[in-house]
Amino acid sequence: MITVRNSGQRYAAKYLNALLKDPLLSIAIIVSVMFVLITIVLPLVAMVGESVSESGRPLFQQYLSSPVYQTIIANTLVLGVLVGMVGTVIGFLFAFVQVKLNVPFKRAIHIIALVPVISPPFAVATAAIVLFGRNGTITRGILGVRYDIYGLDGLVLVMTLSFFTIAYLNLRGMMEALDPALDEAATNLGANKWRIFRTVTLPMLLPGLASSFLLLFVEAIADLGNPLVMGGNYEVLAARIYVTIIGLYETTGAAVLSVILLVPSLTVFLIQRYWINRISVVSVTGKPSGTPQSIDHPLVKWTLYGAVLLICGLIVLIYGTIIHGAFVQVPGVRWDWTFANFDFVINGIGSQAMRDTTTLSALATPIAGLLGMIIAYLVVRKEFWGRNALDFGTMLGIAVPGTIIGIGYILVFNTPIGIGDLTLIPKLTGGQGIFGGALAIVLVFVIRSVPAALRTGSAALSQIDPSIEEASISLGADNARTFRRITLPLIRPAFLAGLIYAFARSMTTISAIVFLTTPQTKIMTAQILNEVENGRYGNAFAYCVILIAIVMAAIGVLYFVVGAQTGAERRLEGGR
Amino acid sequence: MQQRAVRLKLENVSKSFLDRDGKGHVQAVDHISLDIYSGEFLTLLGPSGCGKTTTLRLIAGFEHPTTGRILLDGEDITGQPPNKRDMALVFQNYALFPHMTVYHNVAYGLETRQMPRPQIQAKVAEVLKLIGLEGLDKRRPNQLSGGQQQRVALARSLVMEPRILLFDEPLSNLDAKLRVQMRSEIHRLQRRLGITSIYVTHDQLEAMALSDRIVVMNQGAIEQVGTPEEIYRFPTSRFVADFIGRANFIDRVPYQLVDDDRAEISLLGRKLVVPVRFPLRAGQHVTAMLRPEALVLREDASLMQVTIDEAMYLGSEVEYVVTFDQQRLVIVQQDPRISRIFKEGQTVGLDFLAEAVHLLPDQTVV
Amino acid sequence: MIPVKKLLFGISISLLMLVAAPVFAQESTLTVLCTPQEDWCVAMTAAFEAETGIDTNYVRLSSGESLARLRAGRQNPEFSVWWGGPADAFIAAAEEGLIEQYESPNAAAIPEEYRDPDNYWAGVYVGALGFCSNVKVLEELGIEPPTSWDDLLAPELKGFVAMAHPATSGTAFTAFWTIVTLRADALEAEAAGTGYDEQGFPTPAAIDAAFEYYAQLNNNILQYTRSGSAPGSLAGQGEIAVAIIFSHDCTKLQQEGFEGILTTTFPEEGTGYEIGGMAIVANGPEPEAARMWFDWALTAAAQEIGPTVNSLQLPTNPDAAVSELSVNLTEINLVDYNFVAAGLNRVAIAERFDAEIAAAPTS
Repeated sequence: MITVRNSGQRYAAKYLNALLKDPLLSIAIIVSVMFVLITIVLPLVAMVGESVSESGRPLFQQYLSSPVYQTIIANTLVLGVLVGMVGTVIGFLFAFVQVKLNVPFKRAIHIIALVPVISPPFAVATAAIVLFGRNGTITRGILGVRYDIYGLDGLVLVMTLSFFTIAYLNLRGMMEALDPALDEAATNLGANKWRIFRTVTLPMLLPGLASSFLLLFVEAIADLGNPLVMGGNYEVLAARIYVTIIGLYETTGAAVLSVILLVPSLTVFLIQRYWINRISVVSVTGKPSGTPQSIDHPLVKWTLYGAVLLICGLIVLIYGTIIHGAFVQVPGVRWDWTFANFDFVINGIGSQAMRDTTTLSALATPIAGLLGMIIAYLVVRKEFWGRNALDFGTMLGIAVPGTIIGIGYILVFNTPIGIGDLTLIPKLTGGQGIFGGALAIVLVFVIRSVPAALRTGSAALSQIDPSIEEASISLGADNARTFRRITLPLIRPAFLAGLIYAFARSMTTISAIVFLTTPQTKIMTAQILNEVENGRYGNAFAYCVILIAIVMAAIGVLYFVVGAQTGAERRLEGGR
Repeated sequence: MQQRAVRLKLENVSKSFLDRDGKGHVQAVDHISLDIYSGEFLTLLGPSGCGKTTTLRLIAGFEHPTTGRILLDGEDITGQPPNKRDMALVFQNYALFPHMTVYHNVAYGLETRQMPRPQIQAKVAEVLKLIGLEGLDKRRPNQLSGGQQQRVALARSLVMEPRILLFDEPLSNLDAKLRVQMRSEIHRLQRRLGITSIYVTHDQLEAMALSDRIVVMNQGAIEQVGTPEEIYRFPTSRFVADFIGRANFIDRVPYQLVDDDRAEISLLGRKLVVPVRFPLRAGQHVTAMLRPEALVLREDASLMQVTIDEAMYLGSEVEYVVTFDQQRLVIVQQDPRISRIFKEGQTVGLDFLAEAVHLLPDQTVV
Repeated sequence: MIPVKKLLFGISISLLMLVAAPVFAQESTLTVLCTPQEDWCVAMTAAFEAETGIDTNYVRLSSGESLARLRAGRQNPEFSVWWGGPADAFIAAAEEGLIEQYESPNAAAIPEEYRDPDNYWAGVYVGALGFCSNVKVLEELGIEPPTSWDDLLAPELKGFVAMAHPATSGTAFTAFWTIVTLRADALEAEAAGTGYDEQGFPTPAAIDAAFEYYAQLNNNILQYTRSGSAPGSLAGQGEIAVAIIFSHDCTKLQQEGFEGILTTTFPEEGTGYEIGGMAIVANGPEPEAARMWFDWALTAAAQEIGPTVNSLQLPTNPDAAVSELSVNLTEINLVDYNFVAAGLNRVAIAERFDAEIAAAPTS
């Protein structure tokens, strides 16, 4: 035992030595770790600290024993489970149609399924109210019923439509990676297609289904925008936290509620991280051989296809309503053509929000993209103490609901942090914070986007043989040059995806940002919430249309600048 | 071998890794000392997991030794990062940069050295010509055949004119025919350029074809160092004898020491005097090794008679398996056209070349 | 290499600009905490900026949110002046030391009943609470527009009434205090001293009675919105039948597309009204500019901006022109609204409402 420990120490010393020999690597590690500690871990710790403070502890008991709060907690979980299940089923349906059915318009269906990713919050909910509300164009106007969309059913509808894309992309990737040879083998053994699906396909996809469910569950319980707009009397934790902060400014109470919300979110994150990954049987890196067999049974085929088309129709209808609604006087009531909404947004209140949001998102995007790639590189390629913790800490940025991040920021960064008279971190939040509170907003944009960049980055990196980087080093290049000339170009598609995600996420995020807007920095999503709350749906839709246009334009610019067209991915494939 | 300058010196080098559960250690390289001479082609040979690749990576600087020192031309480079060592590594899977053309792949290292562009162009053109890739400089790796990719990988390293060229099983991904062709190409280039080379392989034929010296490794340690002929003819251990080529072992051969380095043994019904190449104490058991080609089957009634259990016709040779005194022996008869082919079940006489008999200490655990 | 450098350069420049902007503008900026509707905030700040050249920013927050935000930023206020929203929020703020006294030279023009005798705040507009109903929806439900508070409890209206949350909205709090006042009057009528205490403040019994009323009303409420005027749009959309909002907010909606859809009625037994207040934030960052705003906002010219963006509150400055669309306070029955008592009770009532009523799901 002793010798082992000794050699362990010796190993550590040698390792430290090696780190010192490569200052750039050490700096990259230190900067990443410090960033994660200060911007993610510190606010969380502060929030948990606040909740277990002298004044917080009694609140736990008060909340957890009060029937009102018990109902709110139950509501939150029920909503999460329902959205998780319905969203996973729809995502699976879309993935199945894409991979296993030979039907027309698959490309169009794919694009329609991607649309919700770049939509601002409230857009779907507001359009759903216009279409299916009590005075909805469809429910009231066509079907003649006074349907009460406010509450659980409405929330499940809009959240499912907003989030199912996650499940779809997740499952589609998995289904495509499934080796068709397995199907063929099963067919050879005389199994019919239903039996193959039940006994081969489904068990292989089980981890994918489970992880989709969990991802959607977390998204649903963390969502703030939709419950605010159409929650009705169905109260959930995220909205409750919001009112506790915005209405009552009760930070301790909000911290306590946040910790209660954090429990299911973190549990799911841990399950996802340590269990799902372990039971995953599909080797995503494996190259499928043979061609996937399509399902030909007409009844099965056309039923599934019909269902998918129906949902696509719904999505088109909702986004059509958003676009159309932006150009009419009062969507749902007076469909008179007007540009007044755009005038209001572009020349009025909206112009500053538009400029600020775009600027801050544009600032956050390259930071998030690069940081994501650097952390991915460190985590996948380098051996260092705390490697797993760095990965874990970074992922917390998205695993934790946005409301909690926002409150953590208010708690930590509302006053300068320092030792004695030395200010280490100035006041970041609020109008008097540095840059008018803009830095805090950029930081939140970054930490909410880095996890996705990290995931795509590390997935791409693990596909690249480390010897390619070693070859570069062997030819005399240092780590920095190797990262810049070899690694980054090779993971460029992942980098691009990270950038696009970061920009879209920053432009559309609400839950964390709503606590951090200041007089100097106005954020579009917060403005949209204002318009929706005041019932000016036309203005809200105009905001949404502009926001979507900005995101689309940015994607175009990113494609142009980063140049995914050159397809490093394809070359990599061929290079092997 | 004439006295030459030592280019690389490994002094008592070890490397241990944490094992999978992170508790214990795996000793990948176990206190190795080795000198590599300037201009020589040295091969690290051994089965997978013997530590040969780890040794190479220690030399290249991708791993840090747990103990020991590595000296390049007398200078201690143990702590030096790999990019500062004047060595170039040719990888098993070529590790070409997929997003760069052949030209840029080859020019990459020179660009790193910030060599002026015209000089780079001249050097790249020269090395591409040398290696037979003229006109392919604008291709990307995925537009090349496996052999061409291997040449690019070689060119990329050669152009650096490193003090040592390192090869990590560079031919193992090629098909058999191409492998032989590339083998002779590497041989030709290395002899022509005289670059000190360290080559890792598990293929003994490759090792023998290319090397000035072979280092046979087993379980992280060096088993034997020597020229291919020494290693083949006079292996110092049963492991080496078995790993290099094929061997018949006849255990517990009765012997009588004639003097310090000769013994009279009785083998397969014959008595003969053979050299002893290791310190042999009286009473110790010895094993005799005979290569399959050293055994001869003849229709000769004066010889020991054996029955052929198996006969396999392989074109350039015939392989027989016979049993003698409960011992399975493999016999290879070269070019069956000049002698006759025996059938399974046939009984023939067994003979062997006396000078091919090699004695080993008996390492079978009693 | 070069694009990366350019990018970094661009980022540094943008960062520099972000740092520099507030610094350079320090002496000539004003940050307004604005509680009325957003477009009025825009019009007011734009007009002030045009008049004075001071770069004026605003944040629109409901009055409860404003109070919370001021409380949170007490050490280091981000706002200099707070404009609009019911006066009881200002009374609560004065009580907590969040706003400071200022005797404006222009205050003399404002009638005394519309300003604080201690000069903590001054009124900038007046408005009465009303019921904003969707005529089509009422028709379908088969009921008449409500003309009393008890009409709102009709079982037909289950899920068809909306109001804001008193914790966030001054409008909703005004509605709550109106019921408190009505209940106090009723108690006082039964037995003197039971409705009002010796100070003339409603008794706890009156407040309890008001909570009883809202507990009942809760069964008919679809949603408690964050902002006071939001229920009006819900009524306009036909999502609900009746919104409890200020009548001028309903008129504004009628002007902006809901004409013929929405109708305004008032409770006969009496309705509450608000005095839209204004105050200097204590220790605000721009005290000079804040006083300039304060003086300016009391002028007739500043008070005539509202109608231009369909904000039809009545001006407090008697010299300001009154739009014919504004409500005539002499034609409706106003309760005797005790702003001081309302302001003092505001925080406790908001929290109690949040705990007992708003969070409780309707049965």
